[in-house]
Amino acid sequence: MSTTQRILPKGVSEADFDAALARFREILGADSVLTESDQLAAYSKIMMAGDDADYIPSAALLPTTTEQVQEIVRTCNQYKVPIWTISTGKNLGYGSAAPGETGQVMLDMHRMNRILDVDPEVCTALLEPGVTYQQLYDYIKENDLKLWLDPPAPSAIAGPVGNTLDRGVGYTPYGEHFMFQCGMEVVLANGEVIRTGMGGIENSSSWQVFKWGYGPYIDGLFTQSNYGIVTKMGLWLMPEPPAYRPFIIQYQDPEDIEEIVDVLRPLRIAQIIPNAVVIVHTLWDAGTHVVRKDYYDGSDSIPREAIERIKADEGIGEWNVYAALYGTPEQIEVNWKIVEQAFGASGKAKIMYGEEAEKRGGGFEYRSALMKGDMNLQEFGLYNWRGGGGSMWFAPVSQAKGSETKDQTELAQQILGKYGFDYVAEYIVGWRDMHHVIDLLYNRQDPEETKRAHDCFAELIDEFAKRGYGLYRTNTEFMEQVAGTFGEPLREVHKTLKNALDPNGILSPGKSGIRQ
Amino acid sequence: MQNTTTVLSRHLPSRTLGALALFGALLLPPVAANASDAREPDEVYRQVCAHCHAPDKAVGPEITMAFPEAAWEARGNYIRNTVRHGRAAMPAFRAAKISDPELEALIEALVRGDMATTAASEE
Repeated sequence: MSTTQRILPKGVSEADFDAALARFREILGADSVLTESDQLAAYSKIMMAGDDADYIPSAALLPTTTEQVQEIVRTCNQYKVPIWTISTGKNLGYGSAAPGETGQVMLDMHRMNRILDVDPEVCTALLEPGVTYQQLYDYIKENDLKLWLDPPAPSAIAGPVGNTLDRGVGYTPYGEHFMFQCGMEVVLANGEVIRTGMGGIENSSSWQVFKWGYGPYIDGLFTQSNYGIVTKMGLWLMPEPPAYRPFIIQYQDPEDIEEIVDVLRPLRIAQIIPNAVVIVHTLWDAGTHVVRKDYYDGSDSIPREAIERIKADEGIGEWNVYAALYGTPEQIEVNWKIVEQAFGASGKAKIMYGEEAEKRGGGFEYRSALMKGDMNLQEFGLYNWRGGGGSMWFAPVSQAKGSETKDQTELAQQILGKYGFDYVAEYIVGWRDMHHVIDLLYNRQDPEETKRAHDCFAELIDEFAKRGYGLYRTNTEFMEQVAGTFGEPLREVHKTLKNALDPNGILSPGKSGIRQ
Repeated sequence: MQNTTTVLSRHLPSRTLGALALFGALLLPPVAANASDAREPDEVYRQVCAHCHAPDKAVGPEITMAFPEAAWEARGNYIRNTVRHGRAAMPAFRAAKISDPELEALIEALVRGDMATTAASEE
């Protein structure tokens, strides 16, 4: 890389950066310190509507041990070099493997990929950050363990540690990933290592089974944050149930979302339906395997008439509920009757499972795979809907109440329509909450459309916040704006913690809007 | 019970089982397992590429068709560039994910058409 083109970390002199790189090479070996542009290209690919020039790393470090990570942060403190930590880097649409801002050094944890323990009796695992879902899945199958995973949509190529630390979700009964995390090993900014929960007790056998430990519970501080680098994480795995019944419920009218949520809520809270159910809009359900231009070629939002044609051609509903029952066959039979009775009451729902659901096609096959923890990336067919490689997940939280859902849907459709984008969305139903996940798909090859997508996303954040709706997660381009919607007092606490734990601000500056 | 799936042991094609056995050998013993050794091209394809590029997935275009020998270099350059830089919606894959030796072996297998059988046998 020539001097004139050289990217440096913000506020770091070339001499100091060279000295830091020399020390990194001593720690890791020269092959694990990447500085050439060809080597770094994969760390610059983004899908969000940001300027490519804002997301270029200065180097990438590939540690394989906790001790190396400790030495890296000590060096970063010495030279004030900021690092941006990634694990598998497949947080697609949220920032992928790119840094939070140009000049940061990537701390790429993907080579720390050991499966340290899987206990089939208490159904737990202890993993390093580079372990992928596919790797753990293969391990479980190879060793004939009766355990299920809970992958998010990127499944195979993403990993449990990174997804959990970003508080991602999946689709089985273990869908709220952070809820099923247990114990961490964390390298702090000063190079010290801590183990959370019961991990502080030497030779503890309960690190992966008892979350709370003693005193303040701090695991949450290391999620969506920049207070430490997680080098090991425990998680709970779901025991394979004796039987499994995925099913789909279709509703045809836009207004039916209210009934769906209000019928679903008590079943979900009571765990009659135990998994992270999805309520999928037509354009998401079709968009995984249908191309937009086959139905509409305009640059504005797809019209109602085209949506109705898609519904008719594909045999899908305006809203498509994918859920599943788990347990013994007897338990499933009992709960199925409850589900049928609840959703059948109004006469609006079409309830299907087994062969009838399979024949219906659409997303049933891949949804059935994800709801039992199999590896499946079919959802990324959404990227072919509009084409051009632009994607940002707008994901406000709502209560599981029909009236609120109707309000959010209408607001999202109004703002997306104003900017000419489609409402490609689903609700992921937690116990009492819902993640309203909207994929803002756009053509990233078109600068005008990219600018429009950026403005649209910014307006979505602000207008939803005005009505009391906040995001559960966002991409690196909008972290500052989203942090602002949660108020200054909370931001001050985040900043106070940052200053206490990372006084030089070397760990992922800007993550979730948190800086010194 | 009718139309309720009872979970059984996973049935995999013998070729996949063979690949898993190889992978399992790298993983065992159960504690301190890792996947740091170079993987065979069909294993990289199964773990990473096939989820989108297998013919029955159609998320990304098929990539396993053989190319005439005269086009191997150009096709190889295209694949290498796409993997490392990404293209439209396809993410970039870093050397930490697919190492340089793994990528070169994968490219060779792809352009020669060696992976066509694997692709056809994907679930």
